[in-house]
Amino acid sequence: MNRRLMMGVSAIAVAGITLAGCAGGSSDEAASEATAEQTAAEETAAEETAPEEEAAVEEAIVCSASFGVMAPLTGGAASIGQEQLNFAKLAVADFNASTEGADYSLVESDTQLDAGQASTQATALIADSGIVGVVGPAGSQEVSAVGPTFAEASMAFVSPSATNPDLTNGDNPTFYRVVPTDAVQGPTDAAFMAEDLGADSVVVIQEKTDYGVGIGDSVAAGLEDAGVAVEVIAVPEEKKSYDDVISKVGDDVDVVFVTFQIAAKSEQVAQSLVKAGKSAVVFGSDGSFSGDFKTPGSYVSAFAPDINQVPAAADVAARFTEEYGEFGTFGPPVYVATQTLLQAAQRACEGGDLSRAGVLAEMPNTMIADSILGGDIEFDGAGDVDGARFYIFQLDDSGAPSLVK
Amino acid sequence: MEYFGEQVVNGLIVGGVYALIALGYTLIYGVLQFLNLAHGELYMMGAFFGFFAMIALGGPSAAVVPVWIMIPVMFLVAMGGGAALGVAVERFAYRPLRKSRRLAALISALGVSLFLQSAALLLFGARVRLYDTGQFIDLTSGFSIGSIRIDVTEIMVVVGSLLLMTILWFLVNRTQQGRAMRAVAVDQDAAVMNGIDIDRVIVITFALASGLAGAAGVMSGLLLFPVDQYMGIFAGLKGFTAAVVGGIGSIPGAMIGGFIIGVVEALATGYLNPTYADFIAFLILVLVLLIKPTGIMGKKVMAKV
Repeated sequence: MNRRLMMGVSAIAVAGITLAGCAGGSSDEAASEATAEQTAAEETAAEETAPEEEAAVEEAIVCSASFGVMAPLTGGAASIGQEQLNFAKLAVADFNASTEGADYSLVESDTQLDAGQASTQATALIADSGIVGVVGPAGSQEVSAVGPTFAEASMAFVSPSATNPDLTNGDNPTFYRVVPTDAVQGPTDAAFMAEDLGADSVVVIQEKTDYGVGIGDSVAAGLEDAGVAVEVIAVPEEKKSYDDVISKVGDDVDVVFVTFQIAAKSEQVAQSLVKAGKSAVVFGSDGSFSGDFKTPGSYVSAFAPDINQVPAAADVAARFTEEYGEFGTFGPPVYVATQTLLQAAQRACEGGDLSRAGVLAEMPNTMIADSILGGDIEFDGAGDVDGARFYIFQLDDSGAPSLVK
Repeated sequence: MEYFGEQVVNGLIVGGVYALIALGYTLIYGVLQFLNLAHGELYMMGAFFGFFAMIALGGPSAAVVPVWIMIPVMFLVAMGGGAALGVAVERFAYRPLRKSRRLAALISALGVSLFLQSAALLLFGARVRLYDTGQFIDLTSGFSIGSIRIDVTEIMVVVGSLLLMTILWFLVNRTQQGRAMRAVAVDQDAAVMNGIDIDRVIVITFALASGLAGAAGVMSGLLLFPVDQYMGIFAGLKGFTAAVVGGIGSIPGAMIGGFIIGVVEALATGYLNPTYADFIAFLILVLVLLIKPTGIMGKKVMAKV
């Protein structure tokens, strides 16, 4: 009986695979036939076109190339990676729809937020000659790992979230980013806690990731400079319960600063404080800027005003929400990062050199006016965004962020 | 001293979750001598089932039923869903390999673990979920012993895990079905000769173990653990450690192991550094294996060679 059942299941599986193969084949064949018919029709139409129209057709340039998207599509930060990928898809779709002759596409590359994996994926992207630029990777540690490889291949890459200040010190000549660095965020957050909140004692819960350590150290240094008592508690990324950490927070602590990349963890800390009857307010770095962090009275910083409040972003935000659902703080910069590469590629194409070197040469000329991040995006000589700054929000009674500085 | 007490209480609460996961490991290992490496993923699926049951009832802030109905429903859905999933996993991934070498079943278990993670990613998306317990339970309620505060959720977790352990112990030691399970654990061939339906016993074992994993998933959600598709990896590892420390195959041992691991972790976090907590928990495992390889409550078993 068991054997019969197994054979039955196997037969169904084989049939399914065969059908899927046939379906794929059929669809490919159908597509080829359709393309052939379309080509023939186009040839006939071209023959019948008047000379002046023929000249106009010749002038229309078709620009076709691919971009890699390096993001943590699986693994512990998959929620961030999937959001980033979807914003990249939206940017390419928008650009193709609004630019005549543009036919750009994406190649997905899963880095799992791991430097070693990013390095392997970078080699694979370089091997694909159709790829002329890369969106990502997300993490600073990954940028350090892929920088030399991309430099050798003259591949421009634009990170939407790597904030380590050292990345643009010249070691990664083909690297650009569309977000401000921790050198901006740390002092901004520390100054706000010391001056605006008047904090005397702050606990920094520092997640042991490149991002968490970088921003945590920067904030702690800023607070110490301002004369605030600081205790740094390092926690592993895998930690699930924070009640034992909250027990370490004294009753005299004014602010608990958290450096998580997942906003739900910041909310967990805020609720643990409520449970423990402690009055410290939670302040999250930009990784916490998401609807999941909603305890009223908490603070959070972000590299852009909430894009839902940026008039230029209204359309993009609405379409993204409709197609992919809610989004946090890591997605919108991907849209802009992708736009910078698309613009550069389009200019390179129009200049007759749609190659990696051509795109790279065009990157410094990027200018996205009135971007969805609120303001123009232009790069300085090092690859950072000119005049980038951080914003601070307080969460209101409904948990919605309200700009306070 | 109060700080010490606070950390012990924190440890006992998290330990209650580990203990329930450990019970599943120990139950399956006790009956089949098989390590179900996908058990952590059943816990993860249970957490998701409980979450979606809560959403179906209106969500944390707008529940259409009273909280005393909503929470039991969440547990029932998670335990029922977990049990059904566990039975399906046994039927399609383990049973065909029952006569094969143990390595084959272990590899199959690893495959199931990855399959469930990917399935959760596809079905539920990559977003991390929170139960948002504070919306339907007053987190400041409960009672205090000195400066040690224990809220309703925490009481529920500890009492719930002790209750489930007691029920399980009763089922295994005081019922006909439990006797059959113990018989299969001792000698499958002899059990068959005594008219015991082994397939049925194994299905019931998987259903019980997976149901407990589902309950642990809801408890962790109520304790504000983030719910995502990878939450089962470390929790499974901790549950397994607890089962081995307590003596794999022993129900009270799994419970004691869970509480020990939870308390050790909390004390390490409180007095040393949270970064070392996992290291110290696993160090305890190594020490127990060196000093008493059968675990705290485990017994030496003679094997026919």
